[in-house]
Amino acid sequence: MKSHRRGKMERIAALLEIPDDIVLDLPRITMLGNKQLLVENHKGIIEYTASLVRIRLNQGELIIAGENLTLGNLQTEQILFEGIVAEIKYEV
Amino acid sequence: MLTRNLANYTTGVVRIKITGVFPEKFINLCLSEGILLWGIKKEGEEIYANVRLPDFFAIRKPALKSRVKVRVLGVRGLPFTLKRVKRRRMLIAGAVLFLVLLQILTSYIWFVDVAGVKNVSGDRIKSIAAAHGLHPGAVKSGIKAKEIENSITLAMPEVAWVGVRLTGTRAIVEIVEKTMPRTEDKSPADVVALKDGIITEIIALSGQPMVKKGDTVKRGDVLIKGIVPPPSEENAEIKMPVSPPTEPRIRANGIVKARVWYEGYGEAGLVREEYHRTGNRKMSVSLKIGNTVLDLKKAEAEPFPNFESEEIFKKFPSWRNTGFVVETKIDIFYELVIDRFEVSPEEARDMAKEQAVKILETKIPETAEVLVRNSEVLSSSEPGLTRVKVFIETVEDIGYTQVAQPTSQVPEE
Repeated sequence: MKSHRRGKMERIAALLEIPDDIVLDLPRITMLGNKQLLVENHKGIIEYTASLVRIRLNQGELIIAGENLTLGNLQTEQILFEGIVAEIKYEV
Repeated sequence: MLTRNLANYTTGVVRIKITGVFPEKFINLCLSEGILLWGIKKEGEEIYANVRLPDFFAIRKPALKSRVKVRVLGVRGLPFTLKRVKRRRMLIAGAVLFLVLLQILTSYIWFVDVAGVKNVSGDRIKSIAAAHGLHPGAVKSGIKAKEIENSITLAMPEVAWVGVRLTGTRAIVEIVEKTMPRTEDKSPADVVALKDGIITEIIALSGQPMVKKGDTVKRGDVLIKGIVPPPSEENAEIKMPVSPPTEPRIRANGIVKARVWYEGYGEAGLVREEYHRTGNRKMSVSLKIGNTVLDLKKAEAEPFPNFESEEIFKKFPSWRNTGFVVETKIDIFYELVIDRFEVSPEEARDMAKEQAVKILETKIPETAEVLVRNSEVLSSSEPGLTRVKVFIETVEDIGYTQVAQPTSQVPEE
């Protein structure tokens, strides 16, 4: 039922040329080389260490591995990581 | 980013250390409360973060909820700076006082300079300027530059242009002087000979020529007399009015060129002596206090067979030396060594000639045109001495304007 509805929304979004992330409540992940990583529309932090960060998303979680990871700017809608990002993994 | 930094600075920033079993929960709680955290860094079990000062007081609730300990590490920002400043009121008072004093002191004129004066008295310009309000201690805003400029140009006709300029606390009065035409001496005078010679050319611009080309004149002879010349032959028919009984005296003027001879003498030995300092020296130092002289270091009166001496006085600047004299005198004696050179007769002759010419050159004016230059070696009675005579013949202006008074004399050469 839910997936059916989602399919419908996707079609409407495609028709009206509205970005998917707004309609579908998906996270938008922007990377600047391997130095900065911006995650918008997240649902909170599960785990944070200097070498590993786990972020809760709408669908599953995002696992980021790297070195000297710091949270540059932490807001309700977005998280900015700084440091050296080595690996990003999506777990649904 | 800059605006955020600025905003952070004005609200104040607190650096905190978070310790606990589950600090991520604290971060998530802060997120949901809308508390802005940034610069979050994990080192071992501790998390460091920045938080704004107003948010810091709201941190208590999530901290209690997530059972973490929060410790303040440091603070920065405007509220904390202000707090520090409040404790040091005198510093602020000093800064304000400094600015106020600076403002007050720079609103006065402290120096008045006069630039560009050559013949005009600068003190007079200063006094005129002072009379119109431009003097040390005057308030800068009260100075009417235009009025001062006008009054100086009115008061001093020899000034062509005046500019009053203020640079900081210094007022500069710039002056451009008029170049006045030289006042010509109109008193009656004759042109007389300055030197002996034979006239080669005489042009009388005013006055009556008394000699003609080829005449031999002696020093002091009148060459052009300062009277109105009688009508020349061509104008003889024109009836001149009867000339007054006394001849009107005028200022004679003209160019009188003559051949002039000069004779110079020089001599040179066949042995030339040159003096050199050997580097050996002796010093004597004496200190003079009032009228007493203390010898600090002594040297014998003639320390070397050949020497030259130098005296050095050291004293205080004059303002410290009024009345009571304190000075040191240093005598330095340098040992000299004499080198003797044998000189060939030709060299000796040249040297003697050079010496003679050098003496003559001081007598011959620069405008003179040298016609002939002869030299003659005189027969010398002394062996080892060359004596040379130099003759120079020139053509030069020998006229000298002399005020027509019987007592006045031709100036010494």
